[in-house]
Amino acid sequence: MTPRKRHPDLSTAALAALRSIALRAEGARRLTPGAGESVLRSVVDATVALFQAEAASIALYDASTDRLVFRVAAGDQGQGVVGLAVPPDQGLVGYVYTSGQALAISDVRADPRFGRAFAESTQYVPRSIVAVPLADDHGTIGVLEVLDKRDEAAFSLRDIELASVFARQAAVAISATRVERDVSALLTSVFSGLLQPTDGDDAEARTTSPAALVDELVAAATAELGREDLSHLWALVEQVARVRAAAPDQLALVADLLAVLAGHAEHDRAARFGRQRRSR
Amino acid sequence: MSDQDLDLPAWSEPFATRNREGLIHIAPLGRVSREVAWGSGDGSGITVAIIDSGVERNHPAVGGRLVRSMRVEVDEEGEPNVVEDVDPIDVVGHGTACAGIIHSLAPAAEFVSIRVLGPDNRGKGAVFAAGLDWAIEQGASVVNLSLSSKSDALFGIFHELADAAYFANVLLVSAANNVPGKSYPSLFASVVSVAAHDVPDPLTYFYNPSPPVEFGAFGLDVDVAWKDGKRIVATGNSFAAPHIAGFAARIRARHPRITPFEVKALLAATADNARDA
Repeated sequence: MTPRKRHPDLSTAALAALRSIALRAEGARRLTPGAGESVLRSVVDATVALFQAEAASIALYDASTDRLVFRVAAGDQGQGVVGLAVPPDQGLVGYVYTSGQALAISDVRADPRFGRAFAESTQYVPRSIVAVPLADDHGTIGVLEVLDKRDEAAFSLRDIELASVFARQAAVAISATRVERDVSALLTSVFSGLLQPTDGDDAEARTTSPAALVDELVAAATAELGREDLSHLWALVEQVARVRAAAPDQLALVADLLAVLAGHAEHDRAARFGRQRRSR
Repeated sequence: MSDQDLDLPAWSEPFATRNREGLIHIAPLGRVSREVAWGSGDGSGITVAIIDSGVERNHPAVGGRLVRSMRVEVDEEGEPNVVEDVDPIDVVGHGTACAGIIHSLAPAAEFVSIRVLGPDNRGKGAVFAAGLDWAIEQGASVVNLSLSSKSDALFGIFHELADAAYFANVLLVSAANNVPGKSYPSLFASVVSVAAHDVPDPLTYFYNPSPPVEFGAFGLDVDVAWKDGKRIVATGNSFAAPHIAGFAARIRARHPRITPFEVKALLAATADNARDA
């Protein structure tokens, strides 16, 4: 596909289809807010359970702030760390992120300077830590950290390896959700791939940069998403998203209410349809 | 944890106590004693480059053997440059730990530290590559790499650097990652790739005849030097690599004309699991 003019080879039908996909994707995104976080949370939950650890957490690198940000944590002593941001060139977590090398350290408290201030800011100073890198095909994206096994003083080589297996699962999950979670980003990546300039580009094609063209296409495809008359729809989608967390008996109630509403809407539509027929 | 039955993919698995019975190296040209391999060689005349978080010059474990400290600086175009580290520091403690291990085995070897950890993390893989490139150009005898890159984009660069080192008679000793997967340059053929074993003895090492990870060295609960003059107990393949780097420094001191593949062959023939044919 060669960029020759605006919206090249993109028929109205194709654009409408893209809009519909964008709408559904946005709906799905709003229905499962924080899908990526929930995968990460399940990884740290499983890590704490398997290691019988006091805490486990995942920090991901945020390029915009140049910090490793602790996104999720599990365990009795884990929660204090969520939201904390550390420079990626400092401390054990920084080292593991930068070097891509897994490490375990015991006797952390023996060294008052070793990350002590950071540990105290989380209200928990561990005895031992294992930290392993989270990596995808482009390199290291974060760190999985496990603190203090309840029944042992230190982490073994096998613990490092086991933690590394968990970290790999987390990294795979993150790579998958990173693509899916933002409709605009997804479309941009798709269009950028399609609009790679080819050798046969003529002068006309070069007058509009591929990047600008991609922006325009994404804007056209996602124009529906910001429309005023959809705001009721999004409000509804978000309420449905909240209902997902309801207990089974509450869900049954919601289903009953929806059945009544749907019946009412059907009746209403039939009545309108009848009025239209009679007015002819 | 009762995970002993788990089929865990890990580079240190062949070196674990429960698997070592089957880890035998029939040395094709016969075993070699360590007396022959390095004897009185204490690392004199050998420069070991430590590409890591820096090395603390005054740490007692380093024995005053740090002769030069560099760091990699990223310029405005994003290009990494290797410059003198006017304030030589170890930002973590890890590089000092590696130097301390090597010094305990090869006390006369000198260190050059190339710090690839710093306040700027743009293109950390490229920074690491620039540090390695510099160490090769300077003709270090042994380079300790307790770090690696998983970036596909850097595969080619590290491959070139591993070849350049080999042809320039520079021995790269690299810590394997824990879980099999991409990891450069630790998985290239010319590199001495090391994982940890679980024998509490710094002088014990094994050769694994099934590559890519060929050597297992002490790496469990190692008492290591750390930041600010301290010591700490640490575990990881990171601490196994400097043990092999230390033995390599002794071999190269004893046999100054020996090449990287000959060092590797000697390490295999002197390993604790080497047997005569």
